This record gives sequence, C-alpha cells and structure tokens, in this order.
Amino acid sequence: MKSTEFRLPDLGEGIHEAEVLDVKVKEGDQVVEDQPIFEVETDKAVVEIPSPVAGVVEKIYVKVADIIKVGDVMITFVDSAIVSAAGRQPIVSQSEPTPASTQQPHGATTATTATTAPDRSPGCPVPATPAIRKLARELRIDLNLIAGSGPSGRVLKEDLVSFGHAPAQATSVKQQAPYNGQWQRDPDVHGGTTEPIRVEPITAQPVELPDFARYGPIERIPLRSLRRKIAVNMTQSWTHIPRVSSFDEADITLLESLRQKHETSILKNGGKLTLTVFALKAVAAALKLFGQFNSSLDVATGEIVLKRYYNIGLAVATSRGLIVPVIRNVDTKGVSELASELNVIAQKTRAGKIDLETLQGGTFTITNLGPIGGTGMVPMVNFPESAIIGMARSVQKPVVRNGNIEIRWILPLAISFDHRIADGAEAAMFLRHVASLLEDPLQLLVEV
Amino acid sequence: MPRTPIQLPTNIEYLSILDENAQIDKQLEPILSTADLKRMYHFMLLARRADERMLKLQRQGRIGTFPQSLGHEAISVGAASAIGSSDWHVPAYREFSGMLLRGWPLETLLLYWGGFEEGARPPDGVNDLPYCVPVASQLLHATGIGMAMKIAGDKKVVLTFFGDGSSSEGDFHEALNFASVFQAPVIFVCQNNQFAISVPLSRQMHCATLAQRAVSYGIPGIRVDGNDILAVYAATKEAVDRARQGLGPTLIEGLTYRTTAHTTSDDPKKYRSPEEEQLWSSRDALIRFRRYLADRGIMDESARISLEAEIEQEIKEAVRKFEEAAGDKELLNPLHMFDYLYAETPEFLERQRNELQQFLASRSAGPGRMEAKSGESAGRDP
Repeated sequence: MKSTEFRLPDLGEGIHEAEVLDVKVKEGDQVVEDQPIFEVETDKAVVEIPSPVAGVVEKIYVKVADIIKVGDVMITFVDSAIVSAAGRQPIVSQSEPTPASTQQPHGATTATTATTAPDRSPGCPVPATPAIRKLARELRIDLNLIAGSGPSGRVLKEDLVSFGHAPAQATSVKQQAPYNGQWQRDPDVHGGTTEPIRVEPITAQPVELPDFARYGPIERIPLRSLRRKIAVNMTQSWTHIPRVSSFDEADITLLESLRQKHETSILKNGGKLTLTVFALKAVAAALKLFGQFNSSLDVATGEIVLKRYYNIGLAVATSRGLIVPVIRNVDTKGVSELASELNVIAQKTRAGKIDLETLQGGTFTITNLGPIGGTGMVPMVNFPESAIIGMARSVQKPVVRNGNIEIRWILPLAISFDHRIADGAEAAMFLRHVASLLEDPLQLLVEV
Repeated sequence: MPRTPIQLPTNIEYLSILDENAQIDKQLEPILSTADLKRMYHFMLLARRADERMLKLQRQGRIGTFPQSLGHEAISVGAASAIGSSDWHVPAYREFSGMLLRGWPLETLLLYWGGFEEGARPPDGVNDLPYCVPVASQLLHATGIGMAMKIAGDKKVVLTFFGDGSSSEGDFHEALNFASVFQAPVIFVCQNNQFAISVPLSRQMHCATLAQRAVSYGIPGIRVDGNDILAVYAATKEAVDRARQGLGPTLIEGLTYRTTAHTTSDDPKKYRSPEEEQLWSSRDALIRFRRYLADRGIMDESARISLEAEIEQEIKEAVRKFEEAAGDKELLNPLHMFDYLYAETPEFLERQRNELQQFLASRSAGPGRMEAKSGESAGRDP
C-alpha cells in the first residue's frame, strides 16, 4: 500500500512559511479530492488548502499553531487516486516522508551564518538591498563587518540578525537599542512587511504543568498571532527589567472643567479632547526634565541610551489584544493636534488597520484604564523602554483643602520603572511632576 | 483678444442594455443568434468554474500564482464575441474567459499558470497574443499591430484589454496617442474593476470616468456596464465597425468589480468591506445573462444543469491533460526559455543559452563545480 505525501506549497509569490490555523481532518478519515484539509496563514493571507487526492488520511505531521516551511510534509494519504504534481518540484510525491519540523528557537537557527569579517575588496560597496541598509543603520551595524550569505555575498536580514546576536560582536558594535528578537511581522497589523515569521519561545524553560484534565474538562487554545507576541513581550519585560512601582494622585478638577469647556470645539476639528491628550503633554514635559525615564539600558555596552525624541506609545485595547501605537514627537505638537492624531490612531488600531511603522520607535508608554475602571494598577514596562505610567479612573472624592472638605476630581496615577536606570526617589519626583502639571493647566501651558 | 471657450467633443455616454434585474432595453438589444448567445454563456460559465477549480489547484501547489477573473467574464467574452477569429486579440491577464472563447484549450492556459512557456502558444487559426502580465505593455503591442494592419492595407482589427491601474502607466498614453494619430484600427477595452491590487479607483484617477480619457486623444470613448454582456458586445461591435471602415481607435470602459482577490497571493479583506463585495456579487454578469437566456427561452433550467455537468467534465479532462503534459521531461527543460521569443535567436541570447547548457551539464557532473561556476557568473554580471 503506497503512501502519498503532501508538502506545503508556495501559496503566494515567494512565501517561505505558514502558520497552521486549522486541521480539518483526522488520521483515518476518508477524504475526497478538493475537500478542505487545512487552513494556514501566510504573511499575505489566510488560505484554505484542499486535498490534492482522494484517499484515507494516514498521518498528519502538523498541528495548529505550528509554523511550517514550504516543502515540509503536512500529511500523508493511503489508498489514494494519485494526482501527479504539475510543478517542477513535485509537491505530492510517493517517498518516505520526513516530518515537518517547526523552527528551532532563535539562537539556534541564526548561529549557523557566518560571523567572521568578510573578505571583500576595500572601497567596494557592500551588496545589500535598501531595506537591509536601512535596518543596518537603525541597528548601527557596519555592513562592512558582515559576511553576506546571499547570492554574490549579498547581506541578508538573517545575517544582520545573527550578527546582532553573536556575543563576540556585541561589545564592538553600538546598537541603538538591544535587539529584542521581534523581527516577525504582526499578522494582525495591516500593511506589514513580508518578513518571515520567527517563532519565539515564550519562555526559555517551559515549566511542567499538572494534568488539569484529571480534575475536570479542559480546552486548549493555541497562543497565536498577537496573543503570542504579547506573551513574548511581557516575558521579556518581566525577565529583563527589575521593576519598581510607585503611586500618586492628581487633583484634576481645574483641568476637567477646562477639558469639558473645550471638548466641543476640538470635536469640530476631528479630535477627542480626552484626559490622555493632556497626559501626553504633561509626560512629554516631565520627560524633558527626567531623561532617565526616556531611555533604554544597553546591557551589551553597559550604557544608558538617552533618547532626545519623545515618542509616546498608548496602550489600546482591541478585540484581538493589546496594541501600542506610538505618537511621534509629542513635545512639538499642540493639544488640538494631539487630540486629532490620537483619535485617528486609536480608531485605526481598533479597526486593525494600523501600519507597522506606527507601532515602532516608542520611547515611553501611557496606559489609561480610566474608561474601564479600577482604582489603581501596577503596569508592566514596555520593553525596551524604561518606564510606563498608568492612569486609573478619575472620580469625584471628598478631599481636605485649606482646612475644608471639598468635592474634587481625583486621578490615581502609577509608574513602573526600570530600577537599573533610576531610583524610587526620582520616579516619585517624576510622577509628582506629571501630577502637578495635570493639577495646574496654566503650568502645563507654561512648561510645554 | 477675448477668452473664448473651445468646443470639444465631450459627450461621454454610459451604456446599459441588460440591467442587474435582467430587465432588457428592447431598443438597444443587439442582434445575436441563439447559437452565439449560448456560446457566450458557455464560455463565461466555463471560465467561472475553471477559475474556482484553479484556485484549489493553486492551494495544492499544482499550479503557481494566478489571477482569478471572476467579475471580468462579461467584458472579456462580450468584446471578444464582436471580432472575427482572424482579427487580433491582445489580452492582459484577466481575459481568461475570452481566451477560452477564442479557442485556447483550458489545458494550455493551465500550463501557462503552471509556469510552462508552452502555455503561451496560441492555438492554430486565431490571431491571438498570449497573456500579458506586465501592466499596460500589451497596449503598445496592440497599437503596433494595428498600425501594421493599416500599412499593409489589411482589414483586420485589434482588440486589446487593460485594467484601471494600467491607465496610470505611460504605456497607456503612448498606445492611445499613436493609435489615434495614425488612426490605427484598435479597440482599447478597459476592465475597470475599481482596484489596482489594493489601490482603489479613487486613488487612481480624479476624473468621473476613464472613458473621458478618449477626449484628449480625439477618439470616441464610452463607458458601459461591465456586467452587462450585451452592452459590452454592442459597444465593441460599433467600435469594430468603425475601425474596419478606417475610422480609427475607440476607448471602451467596462465598469465592473473584481469580486475576488487580485491574485492567489492577495487578501482583499485587508482593504475593502464584505458589504461592498456582496453588493457587486449581486450585480454578477452571469446571473442576469442566465435570466435573460431563460426569459428568451434559449436555455431552461435543465439545459443549464446539463451544461454545468458538461463543463465539470471538460475541466476534469483539461486538468488531467495538463498534469500529463506537465510531467513530460522535455517540457521541464529550462533551455526552452530561449526558444520561443525570437524567430532568430540573437547572439546575446545564444551566448546565455550556451552558458546555461554548460551549467546544466556541470551540475550533473558534480555539485562542487556548479557552485563555483554560478558564483563566478553572478559576479561578472554588471
């Protein structure tokens, strides 16, 4: 009884790999030709794969959430009416199947490319595409130091990545920000690049779990796309940043009346005058005084990287998970302008239409849980940034002012920061400064 | 010296004969025989079903990337029905249905999307050019052929196709300008499907119609309902008659909608709404044409069902023939790529052909040498 195997074809133009979203058949199932058997997601689209043959499913080599490469065996059939493949490299063939393997953890795959300085004639430009040159500039990697593994020694993205990872090079190469392994395109984000997806291990060491099913029914949901990315990022933040938090409150009674007064006129210009808009201004102003909270620690070089630009990310809850779009150069923009930009960006993010570029280049993050609720929080630092401010719900509270009890609008604030870079006293001062700017809109006006 | 308005012929018409509710304008209804009408429907349906099947073949890796042509059948078949087999048919890459009508065997077109040069060979007895994937370049070929026909005193006309995206290319202007200056017998048919991959029509042009571009070339232009095969046929017939009488080119804009992805590697969900797709699917050319044929008593439901069965068989057979042909070792010979472009192979291609031949020979000799050789020649490449 001959077995027929089916390998993942190139589903687009130059697709390298795909993520398995659904396996629609089981081993032993009888299938007819063109019956849907898998659903996979490539960089470009979600596509359904129909069976190329009629027969019985012998073995399935992939499972949901696997990232598989073009040419990997996905499934084998027996008793099949063979359909010969049209391509020059048969996709369906009758040979001993080699099972699909999901990619090795990051370091393992990238370590194979050359890390020694290349033998190249001096004065000749290094062969690389404009996109690679740009990336190299961003990473402050000198292309001359890299031996390209592409055709005619062309430097490929993999070369840059592995170079950035090679420990021997780390001390000699200044990087703008530590490479955090996030090359993968977020499939939830519209208009991304066509980089291959890399599977990042969520943690270095998986912890053994008890057999939950022994105690009752369970369901297993694969961690995919954005959810997986969040998991990776949070693990990174938690693992790398010794975090400390502190709390404060801002009396925003004056600001609130100002906000309500101007809300309508701003709305006419397409902006939404929310508390976040003022928080953006206040944080940008405070960051100019407390540069350590607008920085990153470069462990490889033992330097603190102070950023002289103020790009503030805003945590936006979407149906697919948390996304942090970035507003650039907040310090140079007016309240009305920020109100419009924030509104547009938030809407685009929720609609899943934000482009990749808007998600990059942040220097600080604000998360506002106010609209949902809560009296306080301990936010997680958005790695590789050094601090994050959290806003909880502002409520009217009885407070003592000048010996009297008054009803005031109180906004609870929290900061989490990287204790390697800054200390608690500085963080408390920074947060107080933000609070004082929110308490006194006139001061906010003067300072920014 | 006053300012006076210049009178320009700017009456651009919109033509609709069979509307989306299958209501017919009896005054405008073109004269077509029952056999012609049946033939038109046959090839629209064949293309539709084959397209659906080809998507599956692509997902199975049995053919390569290809553009589906759903929503383009009426323009392609309608226009191609208005010319004779000795006239010239110069398609872009969504004239699948029209090519089938012109006599291209389905298995040949499968070979094309399977990546074989042999799929570009037109069938005997028709003056067709193969698919043209580079955007708008075929318009220049069409104008060139038209000018040649005119110089030779031949009465053949040229029918060519392009998309709304192509209208932003320089080739489009050059082709229409030359065709109009030399009054070449060319009919330019735009498959305005409102998207150039993901770029919507509103980002393609600022004017109300694409047809009005004709004004600037001093030629007739018309917009037709691109899902109305009778309107497409009637407008093309008029243009063909004019061209044959030596009255020069015409620009026809068929307004339709690409109801599927741009190609098999595109995901339209990222740039347009399902509601919009739904709306245009309800205007589908096949639905209203089927109702028209039923209303005229040309094809009843049972005839349609047996046609579907016949087509299913036809497709099955074509796929079988294609895969049989694709397994032929000789067809897999890469040296073929040099063989079919020029009648006489130019010297530089001859040289490249020899290089490849040596490379292939060295590869079968041993893998070590192959790598050195390929690196060397790549390095020499300027």
